[in-house]
Amino acid sequence: MSLNPPDEYMDPTDSVAVPRKTARRPATLEGTVITLLDISKAKSDHLLDRIEELLRERARPQAIVRKKKPTFARPAPDPLRQEIVGRTDVLIEALAD
Amino acid sequence: MPPGGRPIVEPEAEADPIEALYARGVTDGLPVVPPTPDRVRRAIEACGRHGGDLVALVPPNYGRATVEKIAVNAVMAGCRPEYLPVVIAAVEAVCDEAFDLHGVSATTNAPSPLVIVNGPVRAALDVNCGAGVFGSGRRANATIGRALRLVCVNVGGARPGAISMSTLAHPGRYTYCIGEYEEVSPWPSLAVEHGFGPQDSTVAVLAADAPLGVYDQRSRRAADLLATIAPSLAVVANHKMTHWGDTLLVLSPEHAQTIAGDGWTKADIRRNLFERLRRPVRDLVPGKDGGDGLPEHVLRKFRHPQDDETLIPKFRSPENLKIVVAGGTAGRFSAIVPGWTFSKGSSLVFRKIHIP
Amino acid sequence: MHDGVFFEDHGIPTATVVSSEFVHAARAQAEALGARDYRTVVVPHPIQPLTREEVRALADKAFDEIVRRLTT
Repeated sequence: MSLNPPDEYMDPTDSVAVPRKTARRPATLEGTVITLLDISKAKSDHLLDRIEELLRERARPQAIVRKKKPTFARPAPDPLRQEIVGRTDVLIEALAD
Repeated sequence: MPPGGRPIVEPEAEADPIEALYARGVTDGLPVVPPTPDRVRRAIEACGRHGGDLVALVPPNYGRATVEKIAVNAVMAGCRPEYLPVVIAAVEAVCDEAFDLHGVSATTNAPSPLVIVNGPVRAALDVNCGAGVFGSGRRANATIGRALRLVCVNVGGARPGAISMSTLAHPGRYTYCIGEYEEVSPWPSLAVEHGFGPQDSTVAVLAADAPLGVYDQRSRRAADLLATIAPSLAVVANHKMTHWGDTLLVLSPEHAQTIAGDGWTKADIRRNLFERLRRPVRDLVPGKDGGDGLPEHVLRKFRHPQDDETLIPKFRSPENLKIVVAGGTAGRFSAIVPGWTFSKGSSLVFRKIHIP
Repeated sequence: MHDGVFFEDHGIPTATVVSSEFVHAARAQAEALGARDYRTVVVPHPIQPLTREEVRALADKAFDEIVRRLTT
């Protein structure tokens, strides 16, 4: 920054307010690492179990990783998010009802 | 530039810092103190924590209230640096799931977090507990409550009319902060009643409507005074609303002395009011004295609700009636602060204030 | 919603499966987080009374849509 620090004001908002773009998509799931994130709502596991089967049958991923949030009532804790970021190509999250 | 800080405007391009901050949409309608890095740094230093420490995720947007973000908002609200530990504790408290800030911030109802301060910090920071306790004039009350609201809006996303859909709201959405006048209270403080020590400094937050005054100049006995207060409590939300939760009764010092003079404890007050505030089902049927009334799932339990004498409590338990002593030592005027505390709604939440 | 927006923000294509009762809430929250083009994969409400087999059948129906959400 070229300004002297006393001439700047700090942002009272969180950066979540800035416009976001969705991530770039691959052409196909073949060879990708897919993370299935269970939000810990009852029945989510049944849905994700079946999705995992279908992915293995039809999508030929490199790997499927299962993760689970402690509770659906809050966002995933940072350590879990960091565990996922950088180690997966795509993510499927279920099931909010 | 401080770590994590982002300059939001360059005053060289803006004639007036106050106007520049209005233009950013980050005020509550009143002018704010420009949050310069120096001011923010002083506030962070006064709380003895790192600016990057995450205090809470603020619903409904779950914005990250780091110590630094809270400090920026506290500076804007006009806080002195030493108020920051109180603001931090209040932010922690409203982000407790029991407070349901998501609901408080989004609802069409009118609640605003009321901050109730207990303990030695009141004297250290000159928090008003006495005359004009809900009113203007004292920096700590004015700016601590305002800082909490700015955090809810700027970090939590509770922007009026967008995410925050309150039909009417109330002036407590500018600021809403009182201290309990422990020194003149005949009883243990609110914090001590909830398990804290008298030397602990605490905040309690209540999702609260505006205060409703209860005037009684002439009662000389506890039972007479509570007979005046009870009908004012009966109209919280509406006169037929039942099973309500935490609600605050602010007894003026004179009223408190009248009640304590008869040997009554806070528990006696709660029990007396709880008993007085029950009404028979027949009085609570929708259509009688108003179209509102008991919900269908309750009415279904009674064969002939319009004749049923079963008593339904206004409050879920005596313990939902929270009592503090506050206000000037002259004046026989108390107040009821209705909570936004229907079943599964918000509850009073405490946090200890950590002073470095 | 918050998780999905977070992962998209970190370059990870994400498909969030929600029941139909929650589409609008999810949309509003995503927009509040700045993610205007975020879209969910919708399955019919309710979920909780369903048997395991019925939930698996929902996965079968939603599968193609999930893949479309994750690929170009």
